[in-house]
Amino acid sequence: MISVEGLEVSYGRFKEPVLKDVNAVFDGKSLILGPNGSGKTTLFRALCGLTNVRKGKILVDGVDVEEIYAKTGVVMANFPEVLSLLSIKVLDLIALYADLTGGDHAFAREILFDLGLNETLLKSKKLHELSAGQTKAVCTAIALSTRAKHALLDEPFEQLDPARKNRLIEHLRNYGGVIILNTHETWLIRNLANWKAFFMFEGALYGSVPVEDLLKAKFSFGEEAKTLFRMVVSGKAVSLVREGRGKPLLSLESLDKVYELALEGEKR
Amino acid sequence: MTKYFNLYLKALITNPHLIFWAIIFVEYWVLMWAYVFGANVPTYEEAVKNYVSAACGSLTLISLSSAATGIAETLIHSSKSIKFVTKYTRLSPPRFLVENMAASLAVLLIVSAIMFSSIIGVFCHKFEMMVLPVNPFGLIATTLLSAIFLYALSAFLSLLVVVLKAPKSASFVQFLPLIFSFLAYASLWVDLKIFAYISPFNCISALVYHYFSGEQPIMGGLLMPGEKEQMNITLTACSLITWTFTMLILVVILLRKMRGIGIEEIRLV
Repeated sequence: MISVEGLEVSYGRFKEPVLKDVNAVFDGKSLILGPNGSGKTTLFRALCGLTNVRKGKILVDGVDVEEIYAKTGVVMANFPEVLSLLSIKVLDLIALYADLTGGDHAFAREILFDLGLNETLLKSKKLHELSAGQTKAVCTAIALSTRAKHALLDEPFEQLDPARKNRLIEHLRNYGGVIILNTHETWLIRNLANWKAFFMFEGALYGSVPVEDLLKAKFSFGEEAKTLFRMVVSGKAVSLVREGRGKPLLSLESLDKVYELALEGEKR
Repeated sequence: MTKYFNLYLKALITNPHLIFWAIIFVEYWVLMWAYVFGANVPTYEEAVKNYVSAACGSLTLISLSSAATGIAETLIHSSKSIKFVTKYTRLSPPRFLVENMAASLAVLLIVSAIMFSSIIGVFCHKFEMMVLPVNPFGLIATTLLSAIFLYALSAFLSLLVVVLKAPKSASFVQFLPLIFSFLAYASLWVDLKIFAYISPFNCISALVYHYFSGEQPIMGGLLMPGEKEQMNITLTACSLITWTFTMLILVVILLRKMRGIGIEEIRLV
């Protein structure tokens, strides 16, 4: 379980905080939905202990993240920056992380085969020589193959074709540990039953609700009575309602479009 | 040892940046010392032996610090991953340091061996006499200690860039050991007096000179006329050992303190 209490993170002492008073408990499979630039990746960096925390506390299984050293199998993430320990061929990189984490290097190759990356490519290319989609697939495969207790997956579906997205979803469903997955795409809501969902806008985290509650949810501007959450987007109050008037959440392909909605609402 | 040691060693040996700076660049200076700076050296044995030993001292510095630039580069570029693996894999900070240092030292010693071999061969061709080290074991021990010092210095400087979040300085800082090594050339013309012991770079060239030639090194001004004060070898070795331990302790502290700089941040500047 990862718990976050009153977390505030900024990149520089006098800069506006990127994360503002974030509170959450991640104890199952959780989805963090938010537009690009909302602070989702920064939250993941903080959960890994890779960012200076201005205020608040992060506990991983009850231990302060700052105190964690050499704890194999506790946390794994899929960002290229944490998986670039050496500039070596991808196959060697997979073997390296399997060795360091006690992970299953055959499982990583199986996931990559499912995602359309063949052995020849893995043998001949380094991570930075792959396309953005291939890099993401390799990093996600490494993260899942370590079978860590907590897997932090940052936009794992980015630039995957629909068939491969389905295969990756199967791997996520079968994963035995806690998954925290962040994305700006809403189509995932239909496919991840029994997950918890959080929303992140402008550094603030809202939630959680069961993913099933979002299937008919709508964005409505202004204060509504029966809301799932009230959020602030571009300084305006936005309510996510279970039913009633508003723009259906699933009709927005990406949560980046919430800003367009906010702009339209302003014009009206 | 984990797979990290083998793969890091392989990555360093095949790093084109490191091959250029640690081998090709150093060979250029070997040729300069032999055929340009050595053009007017008298050809009697004592003079040649002194000159080759002095060349060896300076070239050891250039060779090790050139290789250290490649090591610093890899440390800065992988700093975020280093932080992550030391927290969530079996590569704890001390274990990472031991494996990273062991692979780096192997490379530094390979580079030094190439340089010593080429010095002996090239100078033999130039002066038509073979000058071999008087005390090879002392020379190996000095090279090893110097390699540890230069590894620790470049690791310290790299981690300092990361801790201070100063990616703009990354490319300058990785060349600092090489810049310091060239500044140490000043001792050929200037009597450094007490600073001869304070500068770890001067201590390295003095110890290499001593074990190669069997003579006492001087406080500086080798190429200048007049009486010169000799250096105390024990004091010189103590100074280098103190510097090395200090740097290693600072590396351990910074390794725990740093949070890493993303590759994108370095590329952006």
